[in-house]
This record gives sequence, structure tokens and C-alpha cells, in this order.
Amino acid sequence: MSAPDVDLRAYADYERDFREEADVVVVGSGPGGAVAARELAARGLRVVLVEEGPPFTPPDYVQDGGFAMARTLREGGLRATRGTVMPTMQAIALGGGSLVNSAICNRAPAFVLDDWCGDYALEHTTRADLDPHYDAVGAYLGIAPTPDPVQGRRNLLFRDGCEKLGVSCEPIPRNVRGCRGSGECFTGCRPRAKQSMDITYVPDALRLGATVLTSARVEQVLASGRRAVGVAGRVVAPFTGRPGHRFEVRARCVVLAAGCMATPVLLERSGLAGPSGHNGRNLQFHPGVAVMGIFPEDVDPRFGATQGYQSHHFLAEGFKLETLWAPPAVLSVRMPGSGVELERRLLDLPRLAVWDAITSCNRSLGEVVPRRRGLDPVLRWKLHPLDLPILKEALYRLAEIFFAAGADSILPGVHGLPDEMTSLAQARALRSCDLRPGDLVLGGNHAFCTTRMHGDPARGVVDEWGRCHHLDNLYVADSGVFPRCPSVNPMWTVMALAHRTAHAIADQAGRSPGAHGFSPPGAAGAGRLGATPAGAGGR
Amino acid sequence: MRFAALVVGAALAAWITRRVWGGHPPAPPGAVLCPRELALLAAVAEAVFPPGGPLPRSGGEAGVPAYVDRLVAASAPRQRRLMRLLFAAVEHATLVFPGPGLWRGRRRLSAQPLAARIAVLEGWRTSSLFSRRLVFASLRAIVTLGYFADREVQRRLALDPFAIESPICEADLLYPRVGASRATIAFGLGDLTPPSDGTPLHASAPGAAR
Repeated sequence: MSAPDVDLRAYADYERDFREEADVVVVGSGPGGAVAARELAARGLRVVLVEEGPPFTPPDYVQDGGFAMARTLREGGLRATRGTVMPTMQAIALGGGSLVNSAICNRAPAFVLDDWCGDYALEHTTRADLDPHYDAVGAYLGIAPTPDPVQGRRNLLFRDGCEKLGVSCEPIPRNVRGCRGSGECFTGCRPRAKQSMDITYVPDALRLGATVLTSARVEQVLASGRRAVGVAGRVVAPFTGRPGHRFEVRARCVVLAAGCMATPVLLERSGLAGPSGHNGRNLQFHPGVAVMGIFPEDVDPRFGATQGYQSHHFLAEGFKLETLWAPPAVLSVRMPGSGVELERRLLDLPRLAVWDAITSCNRSLGEVVPRRRGLDPVLRWKLHPLDLPILKEALYRLAEIFFAAGADSILPGVHGLPDEMTSLAQARALRSCDLRPGDLVLGGNHAFCTTRMHGDPARGVVDEWGRCHHLDNLYVADSGVFPRCPSVNPMWTVMALAHRTAHAIADQAGRSPGAHGFSPPGAAGAGRLGATPAGAGGR
Repeated sequence: MRFAALVVGAALAAWITRRVWGGHPPAPPGAVLCPRELALLAAVAEAVFPPGGPLPRSGGEAGVPAYVDRLVAASAPRQRRLMRLLFAAVEHATLVFPGPGLWRGRRRLSAQPLAARIAVLEGWRTSSLFSRRLVFASLRAIVTLGYFADREVQRRLALDPFAIESPICEADLLYPRVGASRATIAFGLGDLTPPSDGTPLHASAPGAAR
């Protein structure tokens, strides 16, 4: 029996320059783009989804940390911010970040969304507004709390520590089905349990008639006056990025979901940055810090959900705590020491757990600008001195939970403090010491706000529906539209917003919800793609 | 005067040539990195994971240079350049941050004895300069990746690779292997297998049960 007859093109299938036509072209197949493409196709629109990376199948996954990063991440996983130096990642694969993330799905807290509405002149982005979209995506992907049998010891120890301290915690809700706790989320889920975009929304979009171009890099958004008319780019070889055939997709509507670090570069390169001056600005992260704990007994850290437990207890104080795992070679980079001392520490790996904090450093801002050549971004970002205490407090709380859970010692990874701490009294230095940003090993988790939404066209790039203020039919559907960091893992919110944007576009095209569709509350209306969505208040 | 300048210039050129290119063992055939880079990696690997420690292999025995060579080959051109720049910087930074000994400590890092190399790298690791610590962390990260790829090391650290069956799902009917044509997809609808049943791996994987 042959493979299903769908229009997916892989690198080796391109034989010449080509041109496509569509109702909507979606750029990027990560959580934003894949959801948008599927929902638009479900509403009967002719969709072309363009992805620069190739599709990966289990035989393509490698468990070696170095090669996995070189194959699935942009810049081989070596991307870092300038200013306050911090590594950060962006995937290059069909499915985008969902292929290599830990499948964490959290709804943005109501207080965060209320702040967004209040501070950024948004009227329809409260939790109540977004819940129908969260629900639709959650049901589709089977988002559910991680069950105990696949937690593994290192996740359950976190729970135990939190409970002893009276710190609220919960199993992490994830988009997985049948997770076996292989702890391989970062290198590709071999058991196919993770419901990443490449095995969920993208196949569904194909089945609904969408065309999916993989290994196709969009280099320019084409526009005429206030309307985008399509995109143009080159086919690129997997891993090397060597450019090949040219292509063009003409469309009545363009959705950019290339990621918060790429979409503003694409807009800038296309001369469509807009008059607000906010394209590429306001870059925020959830800067992360991690602590390693050594327990008296083996915890088999390799087995168990990659990230299985979390605590929202300190969200109001600016940080969220969670468990963590990654390829041991990558994690060991954080281990202190060198030589024989390092070798001794590596022997502790079977007794080791790693827990981390992601922090809401709203005062720490940066920008994304294009490199002199190419489409890779230069990221400038600086940790604000007033945000440093959040990181210190998060480190201390992690230490506290480790010792409550029975850890013998912790490795805080802070320059200027002891490599190893054996008591909570010693760990108090994490809170009280005088630190500089360079003393911490920071991780640039998640990235936001570079094409932020704002009700005032002079203060943001897109409106509440993801549409560029200065163009009638160009939308953004990635984490760049967040006006401020969401304080929790962003994937579900990206998908919910993309879901809303897709249905707003379909409504304007006069497409009825249909069997696969979705009718957001109060969204009625028909007409030309790109006209003002009903209820949006116009401009 | 002019002759003296020429002599000094020639001596300097000879010294630089010898420092940068001289005295390295040849690179194995097919290597992307050049002999001086492979020598530096071997020297650093031995210093970060020295012989005689509690792990069964030293950095050199674990084949770190060959691993890094493959990693560099698999990287995009810009990342290749960055990694090679890092290697060159560490090799010759002994001019500014020397090892023990007034003159001997300023020889290139790979030419220094093991104890001196360990001392030099410790200086980078504990430096008060963030940029030096960053360089050390980057270099050690690359070397550590290579060290962990060694089977003996994996076995000692209980990190042996384990097999997991991948169910054949709809996506496997749609996507070819990376770089291949869709015509090469070997699966059809009849090949679909039931999805993962969620059996916890730590209870079933060979050698994984506690």
C-alpha cells in the first residue's frame, strides 16, 4: 500500500524554480505556524506552509547531545545573546521547537493576561477570551498532567521537597500520548509520544489539502502598498543551508510564524518593519538558572519525563520552578571543576537531579537585528540590575527544595561561591551574596515581544489579532506578538493565539466554521482577507 | 639598520611559523581540522580528563579530537569558523596568560606538559574575567561532548545507549529520511503500528531497572 497522496515536498524533490498560489501562505511550522496552517486549511482555505528545516523521522534522531544540536538547532545550538551573554536556541525542523522541547503546556496566568490588557491597550486578550482557544488546542493535542508512573525519581523528589516545605507544585501538563519516560525530549522523541507539530497539526493540514514545502527558506515578504502579496525564497540543503532553487508563493494573506528571533529580521529585510520603530525591539526572555543536587541514593536520572513537575508558587515573585533533564553530556557542561575533580563529579551522575527556574525579568530588554549578511539575527540583551535579585531568590529556593528532598549537596554553578554546598545554611549565600550577571550560568529560555501586540499602532507592531498595524493582510503568529513575557512556558499560549488569528482570518474570508472548524465567540463577518476582524474595533 | 630590521623580521616570521604550524603530528586522512587544531584538542582533552583518574579513559584515549572533528564537519560554516577561532585563541593565549615558567609557560598550550596545561586551564576556569571563563566553558563543553561519546565512559557512568521501538505513525508515511526524496518512503498504510502504550521505560529497559 502506498503513502497517502498529499502535497509535501522534501529537499530531494525540488527539481527547478517554482511558483505557487494560495489563499494563505504560512511561514514557519512551529507551534504557531502549524496550528494556523491546520486551522486555516480546516476552514477551507488553500494553504501553503513553508518551513526552512527538513522533516525528521526517528531514524534521523541522534542521542548524542552535540550532533543533535548541530542538526536540529539554528547556528548549531551555539546562538547566544550579546551584552549579557546567554545561550539561546531556535529549532530548524518541521515542527519547529515542538520537536525538541519538553512538551510543557501551561496557560498564561490570568493576572499576566490582565496586565497585558491593561498595559498594552488590548481588549480581547483576557484569560476568558483565550480559554476557548486553549481548550481547542488542548483537546486536539491531548494535553494532560504527567502521570506518576512515568515521572521517574528525579521528578518525584522535587514533589517531595516542595511538599515538605509547603510549596505548591503540580505534575507538568504536556502534549504527549503514551510517554514512556525516556527523557529524550531534547533529541527527538523516539517513542513518538510527544505530540509535536510534525506528527499532529502538520499531517492534519496536509490531509485537509495544504501544501507543505520543507527545506524552503523564505527570504522576503512581497508587498504592494498596504498589502502583502506573497513570499519569495530559496530551497536550502538540510544542515548546510546551501541555497538551491528559487521559489515564490503568491497569496491573499501572509502569516509569519518564523519565531520571535526570525520574524522581525524577515520584516526588516523586506522593508516592512513599519513606522512604529518597535519591530525587533522589546526582546525578552525567561532567563533560566539551574541547580544540580546530589542525592545519597541512585535516582536513575535518565529515566522519567524530561520535565515532569513544576511549581507556580513563586510566580508573583517573578519565577517558576521546574525539573529538568537533557543529554548528560550537555548537562555536564554545568558541572564545576576540571581534571580529576570533574571526573569524580561525573561519577555522581546516577545520583544527580537538575531543577531549574525560569524567571520573569520584565525589565531586562533587548533587540533582534539582522546580521550584515544572511537571515540569522544578532541578539542584544542585557540583564537589568533590578532583575538580578529574582534570579538569586530562585536559586536559593531551588537549594531549599533540594535539601528538603534529602540531597546530600548541591552544585549551584555560581562564580565566586563554593562549587559544592552541603547545607542550607551554606546555600543562604545564594540569596545574600553580591552577584554580577556574569557570575551566573544563564540560559535564554523562550523569547518574546519582538513584534509585540499593542492597541496603539505607534507602540506595537501587530494588533490583538496578530495583524501588522501597517499592512492589511500580514499577520504574525509566534511568540513575538506577546507584549510581555508570560511567566510560564509559552507554547500553549502561542498556539492559542495562532488559533485565534487563524479563525479571525478565516472569518474575514467568509469561510464557515464547518466540520473541522472553530467559531470564536462573537466572531462573525465575511469579506476580503485582511479586513478588520469583527469586534476588533478597527484602526 | 635596515638589515637588522630584516633579520628581526625574518626571525619573528620563523618564530610565528614554528609556533603556529611547527611540530604537529599529521592529521588523519579526511580530517576537517588541521594538525595544530587536533593537537590542541588532544592536549586540552588530556588536561580536562587526565589519565589516572577514576574514569576508565583519559580524554585522549576517548577519541575526543576525532569526535570534535566530526562535529565541526557537521556544523554550518559560521559555527565552524567560531569553533576554530576558539581553538586558536586558547592555543596561543598563553602569550598573555602563561603557564608556569617565565618562557616555557608562554609556549603554545599544546606544547606544554600536562601539569602546566592543567594549571593554565584552571586559570581560565577560575578567572575573574567573565570572558576568560566563557572561553573555558565553551572549550570544555566541546571536549565534554566528545568524552561522553566514548562507549567505555558511557558504560562506567551508566549511560549506555538503550533501544526504544518507534511506532510507525502517519507521519512516517509522509516524510522521507532527511535529504531523501519522498519516493524513498518505504511505509504504507498497512505498516502502521499501534502508538506507544506508555509503559514506563525505567521498569522495562534492559539494565535500567533499579
